Amino acid sequence: MEAIQVQDVHKTYRGKVHALRGVSLDVMEGEIFGLLGPNGAGKSTLVKILMTVIHASNISGTMLGKLIGDRVTLRDVGYLPEHHRFPYYLTGNQVLHHYAAMSKIARATRTKRASSLLTRLGLHGWEHKKVGTYSKGMLQRLGIAQALMCDPKLLILDEPTDGVDPVGRREIRDLLAELRQEGRAVFLNSHLLSELEMVCDRVAIMVKGEVTMQGTIDSLTKDSKRYEIELKGSMPTWAKEACDTVQDNTMIVRSDDAEAIQPLLDRLRAEQTTIISVRPVRETLEDLFMRAVDNTDSPGAVQ
Amino acid sequence: MQFRALLTDAYRQLSAAKLFWVSLGISVLVVIGFGSIGFTETGVSIGFGITEIESEFLNAGSRWSRGFYIGIFSGFLVNIWLAWIATVLALISTCSIFPEFVHSGSIELTISKPIGRLKLFFAKYLVSLLFVILQVAIFCVGIFLCVGLRIGEWNPMIFAAIPIVATFFSYLFAVCVLVGILTRSGITALLITGVFWMSLWSIQTSEAVLNRFVTQQQVDIERFQEGIEQTNTKIAKINKTSTEDDERLVSLEERNKRFVADKLEAEESLESLTQWHDPIAWVLAVSPKNAQTIGLLDRWLSDPDGFDIAAIMNGDMRSFENVEVDEFDRTTRNARERETRKRMQDEYESKSLWYVVGTSLLFEGFILGLAAWYFRRKDF
Repeated sequence: MEAIQVQDVHKTYRGKVHALRGVSLDVMEGEIFGLLGPNGAGKSTLVKILMTVIHASNISGTMLGKLIGDRVTLRDVGYLPEHHRFPYYLTGNQVLHHYAAMSKIARATRTKRASSLLTRLGLHGWEHKKVGTYSKGMLQRLGIAQALMCDPKLLILDEPTDGVDPVGRREIRDLLAELRQEGRAVFLNSHLLSELEMVCDRVAIMVKGEVTMQGTIDSLTKDSKRYEIELKGSMPTWAKEACDTVQDNTMIVRSDDAEAIQPLLDRLRAEQTTIISVRPVRETLEDLFMRAVDNTDSPGAVQ
Repeated sequence: MQFRALLTDAYRQLSAAKLFWVSLGISVLVVIGFGSIGFTETGVSIGFGITEIESEFLNAGSRWSRGFYIGIFSGFLVNIWLAWIATVLALISTCSIFPEFVHSGSIELTISKPIGRLKLFFAKYLVSLLFVILQVAIFCVGIFLCVGLRIGEWNPMIFAAIPIVATFFSYLFAVCVLVGILTRSGITALLITGVFWMSLWSIQTSEAVLNRFVTQQQVDIERFQEGIEQTNTKIAKINKTSTEDDERLVSLEERNKRFVADKLEAEESLESLTQWHDPIAWVLAVSPKNAQTIGLLDRWLSDPDGFDIAAIMNGDMRSFENVEVDEFDRTTRNARERETRKRMQDEYESKSLWYVVGTSLLFEGFILGLAAWYFRRKDF
């Protein structure tokens, strides 16, 4: 079942800036979905529309089975905005209690969850210190804890690893994997492609207010799978006919099937050609992203 | 639960701002100062007996002591401390509540919770006001105890200051909220609220001054008309049988002409003044009436003995001089002034609660409505 299912989302600001131009996407329960795109592509606008922070010019669809904009549904959605700002006068524990109370979570439940989440996110011992004394990474962790306080069925995180050190990022990745195991849907908004690649089941790439690609990383990079065969010495005369591309001393065969290169390898061995390496190569998420962005004139919103 | 969370948050925000405690501390000092005033057999003691001022009017047995003591509260502590100094401190304390609330990165966290925007807006507005109410309530409890212990009068009407001051403050705070939401700047909100407050003060002062002139001209016109009628009566009684009568007739006719000319001049002045007064009176009618709202406390705490400390401060010593209030001797300048003041006071006291508070709350509702509409529609 879809945790988020939206079609034809449009957002036009005054001044005729088209932030979103017919975005459609689905996020399934129990999956980690990554939305990536360059700055100004409209990622945060889409998330804010889902969270009722911004009014869409046009939208149809559901979140957790209810129409987008249904306030009661928000009780089951955890949200970490980008560049979030907690009141400086609150302690970490007070932050969790305050926002959970705004989500109508009972005090006893809040107390139990706050203690557990602070420990889980490595903030144990900091719960009674003012958030003004927290580092950027700690604030991110606290933000994630805040989003988890309502025991969400859907977690929407906008740049969750922003400012977090590599160790912290790894912990957050592990946490997200645990949440997926628990059957929760996670919607990640990030421009850190390597992070997304490691953790996401499916991704969508948004450029200039439109989703240009959407699917599993495997399916999106399937066409780019190839084998690179690096040889020692001169290239055989038949090389260009036997493979798709020849680059210096490397033969490139476009295929995701290892069987396809076996005859070629047999022929090379028969001719006593020294094979230095045979590498299965797949387009990275970064390559995919760059390809999506390069296909457009400029990455920002459309005027 | 959400309202309580907002209330707790507002308390923590104000508590973090030291000014809240400074303001409360000064309030307590003011109450202690007030409580230090007492009455002895021979006069007034100040500073818990450190100094004593002898007075034949104000002492433990005097009928004016009650009015004096209550008058200090309603005339000075409310009119000056609560209506000016404490209000400025409260505005400084609260001006950043809404700008902080709608600050980017902060508002997304709150607005994405299962609470409607309008409910959120008005809840935030109310909890912000609650802290002004809290400050005034603590102040009033102190004053209530002082009055009770000093003059033996346990007057619950003292607590009327709580809704009055809160209402007065809410007129200004509504503007502060609107500007704060539009600009997201506490300083800008504070400055524009200050300008708005001064504008209100200017409108009210202009109206009061012009009203005084208008009333004075009306009194003059009545005086001249009465003079004309009296002169005409005298003229009618003259038989013109002697030279003396002729001379008296000429004299009366001259006098009558002067009255007519003066009356004409006063009527022209009145017409001219009315042209200025009426538009300002209309502007005042639809504006928040700060001074009149605070003045309600004077009306509600008025002294049955006729002692009015505010009037005494304005130079009206009738309560000491035992002058008949209804007197209207048209021949003296003082009487004319007194009549003008009396009519203005009567007019002021005849203003209904609806006119004073109702129209002010309508204005506040309009401003708040604008702010709420903007908050509801805004893409954050």
